[in-house]
Amino acid sequence: MNSYNYHTSRARRARLGKVLGHKAVYAFFYIFALLFLAAGTYLLIQKSPLAWLCFGLAIFFVLPPYWIRHDLVELPKNKTDSLENRLSRELLVRLPKNPDTKAILTESLECQSAIFLENRYGIVAPLIDILVPASEIKPEDLFTKASEIATSLNLPEVDGGTVIVASIELTPNYEKILKSLKLDLPALYGGISWYYYLVNLTKNYRKYKNTGGIARDLSFGYANLLSRFAENISQKYVGNYSPSLNIASHKDNVKQMIDIFSGKGRQNVALIGANGSGRSNIVENFASEILNSKTSEKLRFRQIFRLDAAALVASASGRGQIEGLMNEIFNEVYAAKNIILWLDNAEIFFEDQTGAIDISNLLIPILENGAIRIILTIDEQHFLEASSKNPRFTNSINRIMVQAANHDETIAVLQDQSPYFEYKSQHAIITYWALEEAYRLGSKYIKDLVMPGQALTLLEMAVNYAEEGFVTDKSVQQAVEKNFGIKMQSTQSATDKKKLLDLESELHKRLIGQDSAVKAVSDSLRRSAAGVRNQNRPIGTFIFLGPTGVGKTELAKALSETYFNGEQNVIRIDLNEYVKEEDVSRLIADASEYDMSLTAQISKQPFAVVLLDEIEKAHPKVLTALLQLLDEGILRDTKNHEVSFRDAIIIATSNAGANQIRDYLSSGKKLDEVKDILVEQLIHDGEFKPEFLNRFDEICVFEPLEKDDLMKIIDLIIASVNDNLSSQKITINVDNDAKALLVEKGYDPKLGARPMRRIVQKTVENIIAKRVLAGDVSSGAEIQISKQDIIDQLEK
Amino acid sequence: MALIYFFSWWYTRGWGFFLKQMSEKLQHILDAFSIPNLLKTLFHPFRQISANERGRTIDAKIYVFFDKLVSRLVGFFARFFLIIAGIICIVIAAVFFLVLCILWPFLPLAPIAGIILTISGFTL
Repeated sequence: MNSYNYHTSRARRARLGKVLGHKAVYAFFYIFALLFLAAGTYLLIQKSPLAWLCFGLAIFFVLPPYWIRHDLVELPKNKTDSLENRLSRELLVRLPKNPDTKAILTESLECQSAIFLENRYGIVAPLIDILVPASEIKPEDLFTKASEIATSLNLPEVDGGTVIVASIELTPNYEKILKSLKLDLPALYGGISWYYYLVNLTKNYRKYKNTGGIARDLSFGYANLLSRFAENISQKYVGNYSPSLNIASHKDNVKQMIDIFSGKGRQNVALIGANGSGRSNIVENFASEILNSKTSEKLRFRQIFRLDAAALVASASGRGQIEGLMNEIFNEVYAAKNIILWLDNAEIFFEDQTGAIDISNLLIPILENGAIRIILTIDEQHFLEASSKNPRFTNSINRIMVQAANHDETIAVLQDQSPYFEYKSQHAIITYWALEEAYRLGSKYIKDLVMPGQALTLLEMAVNYAEEGFVTDKSVQQAVEKNFGIKMQSTQSATDKKKLLDLESELHKRLIGQDSAVKAVSDSLRRSAAGVRNQNRPIGTFIFLGPTGVGKTELAKALSETYFNGEQNVIRIDLNEYVKEEDVSRLIADASEYDMSLTAQISKQPFAVVLLDEIEKAHPKVLTALLQLLDEGILRDTKNHEVSFRDAIIIATSNAGANQIRDYLSSGKKLDEVKDILVEQLIHDGEFKPEFLNRFDEICVFEPLEKDDLMKIIDLIIASVNDNLSSQKITINVDNDAKALLVEKGYDPKLGARPMRRIVQKTVENIIAKRVLAGDVSSGAEIQISKQDIIDQLEK
Repeated sequence: MALIYFFSWWYTRGWGFFLKQMSEKLQHILDAFSIPNLLKTLFHPFRQISANERGRTIDAKIYVFFDKLVSRLVGFFARFFLIIAGIICIVIAAVFFLVLCILWPFLPLAPIAGIILTISGFTL
């Protein structure tokens, strides 16, 4: 039965421990013990038999603190499976007699583990008060569920945090509540485990480890030169805590290393894995593991020295001196008998360039004859290069491949490192969302590393952007913005529901006509925002077909302004500059080579409208390169870095078929029919390949502008002139016949509405400028412009 | 109530806990001196200080042999004295812990023993 009994021995002792387990109480007993000891000694000297009573009392007063500490405060468990035996001391101390569910929840919320969940997962008391129907949950059910959670997570006890999570799980539709907090049940379970991990870390930090003692190093030699250039990793873990290891495959790697170094073959290992995969952590775990006498008696006294290769290379004047130093170091390692030499970033020893020196001729024979024990950590690319240069190298070393971490493993590693980052940030609290965001953005924007290194790097940066003491997802976004110059977009504002629902009218504020294209784009973006879209593709991909000056570019800008809160978030690439095959490399160049390439620009500004202008003029190879972008939302740049377009809207524009659009529409065909015919024709004429056009979410055909549309465009242009004059409090009104004249003079069937802004400049703006300079217009004036004014201005 | 809990713990779980704690401490002392390892490496050269085995001439071999011999002798004496010191420490600690374990049940009765001795008028 999981009903709580207030009167059990453990519950009583817990409450007694709360009263007595204070330093003041301990001090009271120890002071009395000392006083009686002093009095006894004095009376003994005075030959008084009362001395024995004093000594007896002195002994007696020493005993209670020992009892209080080890029985009442530590509150060990007995062997029964009763609820009181499973509850944590903190909860036992707080629970009242016959508590109802509300009282249990109130007290649980005060426990450290619940405060931990509050700080890091936002599970705050008012939320529990409002959402959890305490009156509908029986205390027995609550404790049963909490016990189940504790058992499933292999926890030593049931504490406040576990009870709170249990209460959420017993709440109908709890998934909905958690979803609103961007959480789910596994995340909360992870939170409880995270709390206990930190608790154990503190406990084990002080736990003494038997690691060899005096005899440990007595049999082994001095390594004076090595000590100058290397750090003794093993020494860090002697009698101290162990580094944690959360990645399953890495645990296997440590076992493999133990087997290799305990075996009779060559005792050397190359840990091959990408930077950030945790190679160093594997070596550190190996160092700590072999200190434990249970692991392997043979390895127990081995010490791992990490050679600081950069310091070594820097200290020597040339190859000869470095080879000499390395030779001496190898001799020391050989003579010392117990050293495993760790060459971190071992590529330094296999290539000749700044900060590196090729000593493979010296190293490979040593690896081959197995005279000294060596660990190399190197990435796969460099290992392959070194192997191709020296085929003997591959055969002389045991290889262990280090895998990158998956999502759950990375989150565990981040939780692991959180105390360290929090300490560095002067105790800002890292929230769960910061970890998830570090994983999400790390995988997108941190190049040259893999998980968990990508997320760790980002989280370490993010602690510098804590807000009100908390490191949140926004801190991580800020870290990306500030450290990499990548502009992050608030997802919330981007998917603002109201804006999206009214997207057509928002876009029509600056784009006249083209209802069909606007609707197609709006529908597609709404689908995307509703989560219907594939997350592994760009937000939307569109191709706009139509004549010049009908609003294709304007729609792209309007989209950027509405969707990404600013017209400046348009990355425009004129594809008429990419007409040769070799231009592909310029399109996807790394930022260090060409910072205006498509990949470089999107890396800096991932939330953007990518406008690929005049796509029909691009070389077919350029279009082929864009296929992956349209399909998977990624491109690989010239340095093979993956660049994401998954937060971008891709718009390609083309004038191809412009004349046909005009002809078909004037022959009375509907726009939808025109689209189908046009696409067929473009494919038939070889302008585009079908697989290219099929990659787009929507193919939008832009129709030539009607007279009514042009009048509206004039209104928009005049409104923008009024906008410019608003600071001088001057307003202009243009007569309708004057507007008609502007349309007549400004519209060019070949250039669309494009010359209209120029004609307004030439006429309306010039008229105002002259009047303002002549002093005919004062602040607050309203200027009326007639058809005659326009004619006069045009004739001048 | 507190006194009942105190005495019931002292004569049941407390005693066991104390024994466990003492045995752990003894383990630490054993590990700190690591006598089995000192014995195993008793005749090894002291910190491997000896000439490298270079050259094949008789002179070189004799030099290396005597160099190692001296280093082994130094190593032997260093380890031997450490073993003796270790044994003494371990014995003292073990006796101390044993006495404490035996005295354990009598410790709470110390005031009663004090009263008896006081009444009996015993003095040194």
